[in-house]
Amino acid sequence: MKRSIGAAAVAFLLALSLFPSPAFPLLYIDINAPGGKRMPIAVADVVVAPGDPSLSRGIPKILSDDLVLTDLFDLIPPTAHMETVTAEHFSGKPLSFPGWKMIGAEAVVIGKVEVRGDRLSLEMRLYDATQGTLLLGKRYTGTPGQLRSIVHRFANEIVYTFTGVRGVFGTEIAFTARSGKSRGKELYLVGMDGKDLRKVTDNRSFNLFPRWSPDGQWLAYTSFRTGMPVVYLRNVATGAEKEVLRFGGSKAPGGFSPDGVWLYAGVSHAGNSDIYRVRVVGGASERVVDGWGLEVSPSPSPDGRRIAFVSDRGGSPQIYVKTIGVPGETRISAGGSYATSPSWSPTGDRIAYTLRAGGRFIVATVAPDGSGYREVASAPDGDCEDPSFAPDGRSLVYTYRKRGYSALIIISTDGRRQRTLVSGLEDVGSPAWSPGR
Amino acid sequence: MKWTFSWKWAVLALSIAALVSVGCAKKQTVKSEGAETPPAASAPPMGETTMKEAPPPMAVPPPPPSTAAPGVAVTEEKISRFDDVRFDFDKSEVREDGRKTCGIVADYLKSHPQAKMLIEGHCDERGTAEYNMALGERRATSVMTYLVSLGVPRSALSTVSFGKEKPLDPGHNEAAWAKNRRAHFVLQ
Repeated sequence: MKRSIGAAAVAFLLALSLFPSPAFPLLYIDINAPGGKRMPIAVADVVVAPGDPSLSRGIPKILSDDLVLTDLFDLIPPTAHMETVTAEHFSGKPLSFPGWKMIGAEAVVIGKVEVRGDRLSLEMRLYDATQGTLLLGKRYTGTPGQLRSIVHRFANEIVYTFTGVRGVFGTEIAFTARSGKSRGKELYLVGMDGKDLRKVTDNRSFNLFPRWSPDGQWLAYTSFRTGMPVVYLRNVATGAEKEVLRFGGSKAPGGFSPDGVWLYAGVSHAGNSDIYRVRVVGGASERVVDGWGLEVSPSPSPDGRRIAFVSDRGGSPQIYVKTIGVPGETRISAGGSYATSPSWSPTGDRIAYTLRAGGRFIVATVAPDGSGYREVASAPDGDCEDPSFAPDGRSLVYTYRKRGYSALIIISTDGRRQRTLVSGLEDVGSPAWSPGR
Repeated sequence: MKWTFSWKWAVLALSIAALVSVGCAKKQTVKSEGAETPPAASAPPMGETTMKEAPPPMAVPPPPPSTAAPGVAVTEEKISRFDDVRFDFDKSEVREDGRKTCGIVADYLKSHPQAKMLIEGHCDERGTAEYNMALGERRATSVMTYLVSLGVPRSALSTVSFGKEKPLDPGHNEAAWAKNRRAHFVLQ
């Protein structure tokens, strides 16, 4: 077995050297340039052969909606397109690039879909219209029900091609909201594009603090469905569950180690909450932070070596950072009387948290050493809380609350762009953004 | 650059896909222990070929979530024969008014040795849910510790925190918040 893996690896390396990675694309979007120019892109009607004719516009619509969300592209409206893409364009016939350039497109996407029974195959290509070169070509197969997620994946590839950072389309946000007359709280999921909202739990109890496993397949959360809080792991696809943490009083999962081995959680004993970590397989636990105060909300760094957490040891809740297994903790929040719910960016360089300032809660970020404080989200008439980073670290989701109204908002980490993700549900909160797909 | 399908690319994609799937199987550290069905049982996997790079394994979209075992329905709060013990914002010390209530509860429990009392800790809606969950536990424990100091056997008492999840008053003002920062007694 080992030998065959080795042979495959050699074959793989050979293949790599035979087909070196393509040159750096000439078209490139600098995502760090503030107010940078957007790339004009055209997504042509997709060739349908055979299948539901509405896919011809439906697929470009899914893709265009994704690209618009990035704020990196200007979509050229289909009414301006002059060339009709046909099946021949997928078997050697060149596109008329001067025509696409004439309507302002610097990049062109074409596609061809086939649906036969429950099998769908989709070929998508991205061209540099200025050079007439193919930048990206992908062929996907799946079921018609998987179409959206296939198109999201191609959108991620497009973003990666132009920016070097993988897109976050197809990711989901888990959160909690009150449900019905029971006054309980259930877990919900929603796509990052605001679509496909659905309830995950339905036990009319309190189901709180959802946290994703690094492979995106499991949610850890606290449920009161037996009357007392227990932390469960739930398989998002199948609904299968297992108990993972039962000891202690109040308990709330904070996050997984990046290898998925440990689940970090705040657990109370005799009224005093400390930070523990529990082995997801086997259940062995150990205390990571012990203190006189309340220690809650552990958020592991992406390299797994450190955690950010909340402690009120200094008289009010503040954010601290600790290296696992090394004595000593550093406070990184400053200036407020109340700082909670840290979320470590997947890129490692920022920690977002909730800060009470001027009687309101706002969302701020800071470097892990406590430097470079930046306010990200605030509202003069409401509270902004519970930040959770997108897998690319470029935006975060937070809870907005104003008296009875609540919503989930996605905001770019520079604070410049935001959009409402979920509204209309009661008392939404605890958003957790899934890992990349 | 002209894009044509060739066997070279197919072989490359296949060999990469094989490697990726081997790597993935190793990386799956979150393992199921119970009687779970494999996630991919209901949906055929997606395929993908590429001329540039190997695809990561496709996450299969989940089927509708199955309903978990029916849980304990949340009811309106049981009326207690004892008043709530109230707290200041972000505090868990039992105030003077709360000590009086605790005295009444202690007398009752000492004269009813069979009685068991659950002390629920609650918080107002402000602040983070996790922090409030721990704060509610500290409030409940603070009341329990005070009752024990009054001579109530520890074995007659238990605590649970509902954090900010079960407000007594749904309002969004200081009057409502003051009512919601409480320890609530439930005779069992």
